[in-house]
Amino acid sequence: MQFAVLDTFSKWVSHTRVSNAIIESPWIWPASETLHFIGLAMLLGTVALLDLRMLGFARSLDLRGLHRLTRWGIAGFVINTVTGGIFFVAAPFQYIHNVVFQLKLLAMLLAGINALVFEFRILPNMEDIGPGGDAPAAAKFTAAFSLVLWLCVMFFGRMLPFLGESF
Amino acid sequence: MRCVWRVWGTRPMNIFLDIQQSVPGTFIRESPSILAYPTFLFLHTVGLGLLVGTGIAIDLRILGAGRETALKPMGKFFSLLMVGFWISAISGAALWMADAQTWAKDVVFYIKLGLIVLAMLSTRLIRHRVFQSSWSEGSLPAGSQALAVCSLILWTAAITAGRLTAYIGK
Repeated sequence: MQFAVLDTFSKWVSHTRVSNAIIESPWIWPASETLHFIGLAMLLGTVALLDLRMLGFARSLDLRGLHRLTRWGIAGFVINTVTGGIFFVAAPFQYIHNVVFQLKLLAMLLAGINALVFEFRILPNMEDIGPGGDAPAAAKFTAAFSLVLWLCVMFFGRMLPFLGESF
Repeated sequence: MRCVWRVWGTRPMNIFLDIQQSVPGTFIRESPSILAYPTFLFLHTVGLGLLVGTGIAIDLRILGAGRETALKPMGKFFSLLMVGFWISAISGAALWMADAQTWAKDVVFYIKLGLIVLAMLSTRLIRHRVFQSSWSEGSLPAGSQALAVCSLILWTAAITAGRLTAYIGK
């Protein structure tokens, strides 16, 4: 996908003072990468626990507490959006035409829609699921989608340097 | 080490170079296949996410997040944490083989390994003191929260050291 408007936008971004500051700093990029991995662990850790509980693992757990813990997963997502934004602003041309990056964004979008559907369409209609309780089929579907989609996000992210020539 | 082998009259030994030049070491490093180096790197990331992510979730619950769930049953997730550990360890060993000679000289890499050992020890202590001892809900064993904070700090430090191997130490 090559759109002239994306090139113009990327060119503008790469000439901003912020972009140059990130590139010239010896520590902003490594620090952002470190935070990106910490955010990843917060997101995957909390979301995977909730998803696995809904799929029937560790049924002795009350679902509400695990759902509360996903707030920390949202915090991880925010960390990763900010640090990911830093990578993009620093080197937009590495990403803008990269198919793997586009696939990563697509997987993120789908994972986000999936999470919103669960949160606002499925969860409000569910009874409280205490210890031993079983989640309804719809919740199990979103749980399975969530696990697969977040793994896709990680896969495409990790493949950026190999399939799409960015660092 | 080298001197000793010279004295004994055999070829100078460099086990790290031997590992790096072995068939699996060479394959992982040099194969253009996406199933070689990139796949191990991906698995290392998934393992990190499961290991540290589950560890963080357990620590946060000890510190009071998600109180609606009783603490004790959270112990079930230690099995998931160990799955993450082994995925990381095995993929990490594969990545290490590919560049064993380089890693052998990398100070930051040894710091990372040391931090992982300490983080796993803190995890073991948490499992033992908080999850495998008897206490009534509402009154955590003394030191539980301090252990959870230590664990969070150690995992964060281990990730930081791991990431920094790409920038310093070699």
